[in-house]
Amino acid sequence: MTERAARTAALLAMASLVTLAVPTPASAQETIVVWHAYGESEEAGLLAAVALFERAHPDVHVDLVASPFGAFASRLRNAIPTGHGPDLFIDAHNRLPSFVDASLLEDFGALSPELTADLPPALVGALTYEGTLYGVPLSLKSLALYVSDELAMGRTLPSLEDYAALRRELPDGTYAIAWEVDSTYASVALFHAYGARVLDEEGRFAAATPEGDAALAELARLVADGSVPAEASGDLVRDLFRSGRAVAAISGPWLAPDLPASLHYHVLPLPIVHAADDGLMVPYSTIDAALIPAGSPHPELARELAAFLASPAGSIARATAGHQIVASVSAWHDPGVASDERLVAFHDAALAAMPMPTHPHMDSVFGPMDRAIRKVLRGDATPHDALAEAEHRFVDETRPAPPLRDPTFAVVALMLGLFAALAMVTSRLRDPAVRASLVRSMPAYGWVMHAFVAVGLLVVLPLAVGAMTSLYAGQDLHYVGLANYFDILTNRGGDLLGHGSFWLVLGVTVLWTITNVIFHVGIGIGLALLLHRPTVKLRTLYRILLVVPWAVPSYVTALAWRGMFHRQLGAINAILAVFGVEPVSWFAHFSTAFTANLATNVWLGFPFMMVVTLGALTSIPKDLYEAADVDGASAFQKLTRITLPMLRPALLPAVAMGAVWTFNMFNVVFLVSAGEPDGSTEILVSEAYRWAFTRGHQVGYAAAYAVLIFVILVGLTRALPRERAPGAR
Amino acid sequence: MRLSLRGIQKSLGGTPILRGIDLEVDDGELVVLVGPSGCGKSTLLRTIAGLEIPDAGTVRIGDRDVTHAAPRERDVGMVFQSYALYPHLTVRDNLSFGLSIRGTDKKTIDARVDEVAAMLGLEKLLERYPREMSGGQRQRVAMGRAIARRPALFLFDEPLSNLDAALRSEVRVEIKRLHGRLSATMVYVTHDQVEAMTLADRLVVLRAGKIEQVGAPLDVYEKPASRFVAGFLGSPAMNFLEGTAEGGRVKGAGFDVAAVSPSGPTVLGVRPQDVVVGRGEEAGITLRVEVIEAMGFEAYAHGKVGDVSFVARLTPAELASAHVGEDLRLVPKRVHLFDPNTERTLVDD
Repeated sequence: MTERAARTAALLAMASLVTLAVPTPASAQETIVVWHAYGESEEAGLLAAVALFERAHPDVHVDLVASPFGAFASRLRNAIPTGHGPDLFIDAHNRLPSFVDASLLEDFGALSPELTADLPPALVGALTYEGTLYGVPLSLKSLALYVSDELAMGRTLPSLEDYAALRRELPDGTYAIAWEVDSTYASVALFHAYGARVLDEEGRFAAATPEGDAALAELARLVADGSVPAEASGDLVRDLFRSGRAVAAISGPWLAPDLPASLHYHVLPLPIVHAADDGLMVPYSTIDAALIPAGSPHPELARELAAFLASPAGSIARATAGHQIVASVSAWHDPGVASDERLVAFHDAALAAMPMPTHPHMDSVFGPMDRAIRKVLRGDATPHDALAEAEHRFVDETRPAPPLRDPTFAVVALMLGLFAALAMVTSRLRDPAVRASLVRSMPAYGWVMHAFVAVGLLVVLPLAVGAMTSLYAGQDLHYVGLANYFDILTNRGGDLLGHGSFWLVLGVTVLWTITNVIFHVGIGIGLALLLHRPTVKLRTLYRILLVVPWAVPSYVTALAWRGMFHRQLGAINAILAVFGVEPVSWFAHFSTAFTANLATNVWLGFPFMMVVTLGALTSIPKDLYEAADVDGASAFQKLTRITLPMLRPALLPAVAMGAVWTFNMFNVVFLVSAGEPDGSTEILVSEAYRWAFTRGHQVGYAAAYAVLIFVILVGLTRALPRERAPGAR
Repeated sequence: MRLSLRGIQKSLGGTPILRGIDLEVDDGELVVLVGPSGCGKSTLLRTIAGLEIPDAGTVRIGDRDVTHAAPRERDVGMVFQSYALYPHLTVRDNLSFGLSIRGTDKKTIDARVDEVAAMLGLEKLLERYPREMSGGQRQRVAMGRAIARRPALFLFDEPLSNLDAALRSEVRVEIKRLHGRLSATMVYVTHDQVEAMTLADRLVVLRAGKIEQVGAPLDVYEKPASRFVAGFLGSPAMNFLEGTAEGGRVKGAGFDVAAVSPSGPTVLGVRPQDVVVGRGEEAGITLRVEVIEAMGFEAYAHGKVGDVSFVARLTPAELASAHVGEDLRLVPKRVHLFDPNTERTLVDD
């Protein structure tokens, strides 16, 4: 870094000298802006390569801008169409189709013969979409096998079965091999070993085959016999391997920096599987490519920089300074690169991997596949049924958008409606009495104008736009009339109460709302009655403490509860264990997952009802209770005949609001159960979210969901009983 | 049903409110507890109802000791100052509340409600809510609620204080009539002497947590036991002049009247209506008139005797002789004498 700073300073000094000496315009030095989402170590490699480029091009300055990985794609999507994009950016190849479909990329043009000769054709091919090359491959990464030298005791174990066999000699709690089994990305290698694919060239789901069934069955077997840990997250895999509780781990190059220097291990390509006729476990690789955004201010310079980064010289710099697994073949002959044994091992593993398909449907594979894997590992379905269901779900999510409809009818209807409204208004304005009262009210309209404008902009306009969106579909958002609604209400031709159908999710949502509101109101009233008693000591303290769950942001609470329901590490199972109860897999069954969501949302929701009740209780005159005492009422009769009926007018609106909030309580469902198991605990609003953001970005479809939710809630609030407050005349 | 209070004491928040109350109320009697604000009359009523438990003393209703019994075990009906109607219930449900929570069968309840409604003229209001009625109507519902259960003892806590004057006298008569019809034992609390005088079979005047005097209303009025009782009953209030008794006369600044009293300092009490305008020199009280209030059938002359305020009632005939700024000679027809130290009545004339 300091070296670079010194060099920049020197360059600046030189530039200023030149400026002083020769009166050339300042624009003689061009600046190229490059966006990337690299971590620190990889960024060092990029910096080194850029420095070399700048040395060769003294008139060019390269400005590197790092973005967090999670926000990178949306940042590009927002910036490029508005002309605020970079000259060049580096991103994973599998996002290529979505970028191309959104017209975010410039054609890269043909590579030079030297570059073509130096780069593996498979990697270049992965950047070619519909016959056009959109970028140049810089580096690649894939999962590899980490093997602990200590636990493997120097043995070379070529097959998955060899590792599984170690299970017998390992102590309890130590696994033969660990990977994120629930994740399609990690487990796809096993499918490949069996010759199965999850997506074919035409973008069709391809795992529902006998080979896929066999691979999934093998996965379930490995988990069942304890060779591979169940429910392993990336963190758990890391912890197991780091602490010597796994002989081997399947993970990416990102695991290495997290491992202590004291741990001796080596990196290998993934093993073969005897059961699959010695098929090799082939993971996906992702290729980091330099891509030129549409509207790049300096496309030629950007192309030149990209070519340099991919060239052997640029690649050697990136490999040595940034441990990047570079794509250039000849770079690996450089002694500095070739001597890095671990890097070479990752490179070997990555070359053995298969570039992740770039088909736009690839995104839609992961959701259904993840669910299928989890379902089989839970023992809820056979591999065959689970994969068939996954295929069905994939087809459902990737079905073609409804065809374009002629919008004439809608436009005419809209115009007629507007005309009718206009005619009505004018006819009313003809009445002089109406006109006079309107003129009289003008100042009043002036006073409420700001609120009118604010509500219009913040509430009515988004609502109208959302409702409009629901009439469109497809990536190009073409007009489809009411097709989205038709699809939703008919479950796209499937079973009306089938999995993921609107009606089923509506049923779950109603159950969710009713149970929550019952608990909210029950607990809220109970606590309020306790706190309202003048004899309770420290009342104020209790009140404050009981309002805390309400004051904490709900996502924080939701994440905390999610942690508490964790099977191995959660507090709830730890408490149950004290009473001798077996650990519960909270998110493995609908009833327990629903309960977990319910517990979280009850925790979040009761304080509101308690506060409302406390307020309403103070407004009940004391002498009503005295009158009831004299009339002969017992404490229970006073509660049921006076307190509860008197609370009714205050609680009804609170219940209505609580019902609406609960109906749309996205945070809890999304963060606690995340729809597990198998999407069964999704509610309408989280389901709408999934259609909008994870299932191929079907925005129009999701908007139709939102409109239906809106209609249901309007109906709900209309249907709830209303009452005038007592004492109101 | 008899009510018997013995040695009732009660403090609220460390302040003694009731300081030893003994009272017997006969079956069917209407006793009015009267006194200024803070004299403890409401607390005493609440003690009878069971809403307060006395610190000492006993409460007996009939032959039961109910000192520590809950209100619902006492069989009392109470009409609250605020009416305390259940706002979420119709008049019918308000009236039947006490019956229905005791599990009375529906037939009896309906009969009882209809009977009470007829008695109080509430037939057309039965389906209304309290918020839909006037103050007088609510007041009647509150009474109806107490009556419907046919309790052994009725308690009224200033039931008329939220009504306007015209309505008040109307309801007052209604209560009197009810008492006659139900011939029930009633304890009635008020700070209004007119209510006290007109309603009571027996009057109990309370002062600072103690009973000052008990008796039939007219007896108490005619023969007040103390300067306090004398001043409290009667409107306008009795005039008090401080003087000295000697030789069958009581003299002071501006007055000299015949009255039998032990020699020494004495307070002379004269009700405004107990004077006539005198002729000649025999007149005993000289009133310097400052204001005259004429009401047609009578008039009041306000002024000073010596430097003490004094009010005299004048007949229309006497009004002619009264002039603002001039002296008026008054002859008392009847006087009350009080010990200036103990404030007790000295002699009943």
